[in-house]
Amino acid sequence: MLGEETNVDKAASVGNYLSLYFGQNQGVRLGESTVISRRAHARMPEKRVKGQIKILINRDAGKTYLDYVDVDQVVHIDVYHKAGEIDPRDVARAIFWALDEHFLEKDPQLQYAEEERFKMVSGYANKIFITTNQGKGLLYDLFQDVLKPYIEGEEGHDHVHILARLNREEYYLAYVIAETVEEVILASGLKLSKVRNIVHGNQKEERDSYAGYIKLPWKNFKGQNAHQLPDKENVNQLILKLAEKFGGVDEIEEFMESYSTNIFKRKGIEQQKKKWGDVEHDVEQLEELGLIKDSILGKVLTKKGLMLQDFVVKHKCELETEIRRNVRKAPSGGSGRFKKLGKVDSKTAQVEYTNRNRTVNDPDKNWSGDLAVPETIIQAKKNSFLRGDTHFTIKKQDLHFYDKKTYVPIDICLLIDASGSMAGDKRQAACFLAEHLLISGKEKVAVVTFQERSSEVVVPFTRNQRVLSKGLSTISPAGLTPMANGIMTAVDLIKNNRVKNPLLVLITDGIPNTPLWTLDAKADALEAATHIKENKIRLICIGVESNRIFLEKLSERADGALYLVDDLNKDNLINIVRHEKKTMMETHKNMA
Amino acid sequence: MIPFYKLERYEGNEALFELVMMSIVSSYVGEPLHVHAEGLRGTGKTTIMRAARDILPTIERIKGCIYNCDPAAPHCPHHKNLSAEEIKAIGVEVIPMPFLEISHSAKVGTVAGSIDLARLTDPAHPEAQLLPGIIPQAHRGIIFIDEINRLADTSPEITDILLDVMGNKPGHLQIEEAGLPVVEIPVSVSVWAASNPDEEPGPLEEIRRQLSDRFDMVCYMGRPDSLDILANMLEENSHFHKAKQANEAETAAADESKNEQYRNDIIKWAAMYEKTDLPDFLRNFIARLYIKHNLESIRAIQAMQQGAVLHSVLKNRDKVMITDVTYMIPLVLKHRVDGDTLVRMINDVDSRGSKDGILNFKGRKNKKDESDPEYFQQVARPLKDMHRGELVHTEKTLTPSDF
Repeated sequence: MLGEETNVDKAASVGNYLSLYFGQNQGVRLGESTVISRRAHARMPEKRVKGQIKILINRDAGKTYLDYVDVDQVVHIDVYHKAGEIDPRDVARAIFWALDEHFLEKDPQLQYAEEERFKMVSGYANKIFITTNQGKGLLYDLFQDVLKPYIEGEEGHDHVHILARLNREEYYLAYVIAETVEEVILASGLKLSKVRNIVHGNQKEERDSYAGYIKLPWKNFKGQNAHQLPDKENVNQLILKLAEKFGGVDEIEEFMESYSTNIFKRKGIEQQKKKWGDVEHDVEQLEELGLIKDSILGKVLTKKGLMLQDFVVKHKCELETEIRRNVRKAPSGGSGRFKKLGKVDSKTAQVEYTNRNRTVNDPDKNWSGDLAVPETIIQAKKNSFLRGDTHFTIKKQDLHFYDKKTYVPIDICLLIDASGSMAGDKRQAACFLAEHLLISGKEKVAVVTFQERSSEVVVPFTRNQRVLSKGLSTISPAGLTPMANGIMTAVDLIKNNRVKNPLLVLITDGIPNTPLWTLDAKADALEAATHIKENKIRLICIGVESNRIFLEKLSERADGALYLVDDLNKDNLINIVRHEKKTMMETHKNMA
Repeated sequence: MIPFYKLERYEGNEALFELVMMSIVSSYVGEPLHVHAEGLRGTGKTTIMRAARDILPTIERIKGCIYNCDPAAPHCPHHKNLSAEEIKAIGVEVIPMPFLEISHSAKVGTVAGSIDLARLTDPAHPEAQLLPGIIPQAHRGIIFIDEINRLADTSPEITDILLDVMGNKPGHLQIEEAGLPVVEIPVSVSVWAASNPDEEPGPLEEIRRQLSDRFDMVCYMGRPDSLDILANMLEENSHFHKAKQANEAETAAADESKNEQYRNDIIKWAAMYEKTDLPDFLRNFIARLYIKHNLESIRAIQAMQQGAVLHSVLKNRDKVMITDVTYMIPLVLKHRVDGDTLVRMINDVDSRGSKDGILNFKGRKNKKDESDPEYFQQVARPLKDMHRGELVHTEKTLTPSDF
């Protein structure tokens, strides 16, 4: 058989390579038009290099496309082709028969066990998902003409996108699938596209390119129409986009001042990044909109940019309202990804208020609260008729009272790790959480940070938004992680204030490395955690998987719960705190 | 109170003046138009809406009918089965178009209806009878709700009733009270509301999305930015000025004549509104907007149609124009879609110059970076034709190295 290249040999060899490279967390180009990996793939428009595909090593294909919980379950096969229509049903049928043929070729004995063979192939048919620009679906369904519509903007507009749940031993099938898909493409009269190169990298946070659809009114601002409503909507939307990134109007101003011609106000890109994370995308967008341009000084605001700045200053009130409105909004997209370990049982206190729209009439119970006069009279009238009273009388059994509603107030103290690793997006996410809690809730919020060798109460318990945003703007992550110190400051803050049902939320991406009392930073943090328990403070700790062992110990010590996330982004943070508040309400109800 | 015509108009609030007029015209012909003014404290939302009370035209009702029965089409439990002669015998009276408010102490009984306690406890002839609440009493008129976001938060029961009343045009109200038969009546009421999205408990769409969608149009109020306007506002509000005006008999007469003029205009516009329809091409245009931008609520495009016709009538035009429709887009959609979608829609419509351009939806697809057909420049060889050794390439083997 030497030298003869059967499909079985080729496939087996490809299978070996794939398990080797996948094991190293890499993807490969198979042939010239196919990219295979266990991760998501993207084009690289940012570099403007054509024909290049990026393998996003931080995004598992199964998790990304199929919402799987476990990683490395799915092999992602993309076969790129030139513009044209491919029917996913053709692809499905071709793969089905190709698998059948391949098994037969591999083991000729199977021709006598047709049923067995059919079972094998249909087993795979349930594990392969196909998307083309004409539709998508499970191979099994597509084979039976059941297809779901293709949605514009999804995977598959210029390639056949296949996700196959394959084990290590089955990787050779990827070759069979890829080859078959190519045949279908060629049979449809289309050409295969050559992938020039592949690169590996992390996916940056997917951000909207707003420059594409926002139109600023100042293009020909001599015209009369400069003040029409639609233009205003455009400017508003642009500011909201920027606020999403930078936080608030003040921050936007600060950002724009970084590009002013006043050298004292200008800030370097590194300095900006430390505070706001990756700003390049926004700078690029503003350039595209003609708000920033290159000059001898570096990048500066254009005339239009200055007009925008002026608009921001003049319409601060309205803009702030709009921004707050967005902050209030709950994150969309369900419950988010987090894992909860441990649970908290602690008593909660409640607040009662009167519900004027519901009345209760319970003669056996001693009453308290407001008398509902009309309902009482109606009842009395009815009853006195039934009792046969000669005069209209009101008895105790006739009395109606307004019902009471209760709610559990929860004052929240955020304990934020402000060590160097939290700079950028994580800092922004934690700040956003604080603002969201204050604006969307009725309770007080406080923020404590810890960094380098000390900790600080950045925002005392407050309902004042100005105090909060002012405090938050001072957070500038740097240095080490003195967790014990931070915990003690937060506990003292809670102890010394009259707060209701305190909830301490610890947000960290690391483990302690600066001690407080002894030389062992971790032991000190654990010791500090016992104070949380002693003071009957409820703790939730939000951290990342890699620090699980320590954080588990910590939250156990404090009788708290631990939430693990794959990314400390704002949606995750908000969803976790919201989930926790809900549990607190529910435990209260169960106890009542 | 400062009369309607004297209120300052500026860029940030002129839309509300128009919406208020449109709603009155529409209510007058029996088709409600629900309007919601949102904005910062002190931007005049409530002032404008309450001032509109004085310019409301009159309506005819069956004499003494608390449900405001139209003599031509009686609907209430007392009059609906009467013949024309019987109604004639009762008589007809002219009243101002109702303008009632739902306050924060409102209860289900006062809003919808409840047992009439006075009759019930009448020692001589006790009788269980229904006392209609604010909503049935405002039939053919307007209900104003200040701080509707707070009401939606604290009184979900009243909100449910409003959902029913505002759900269709005309709406529907069911009054249920223990010991009385269930009364079901159609109500045609325009609901006007005001709220500050920045104050507790937050914007209406976050509290009760359904209720927010029931409003045909939302007006976002802006602050005045001109010195003259601010100075005029101060003058109107100064005590000296008010006292002086109150003493002059002429002012009262002048105010009244101005209000009368509004009333006449409204009646004229109402007559025009009954004769004007949206041209087919604009109807198609609105329908396409719905499909193209994947809008959720049909109410949105219904409101767009109603609003466009009303807007053209208010401008004394007998033909609806595309600008009437585009003017409606932000008012109708800002509370229903997210900012990105809205801006896309506005710019989409805006970019078209002539009427012909508007109808041409072809070739208007936003070209995205993603679907650049030139991304892959070379044609690839199929796997079949390849040698075993050249099948698998990694990043390393593909990247030309300089070493």
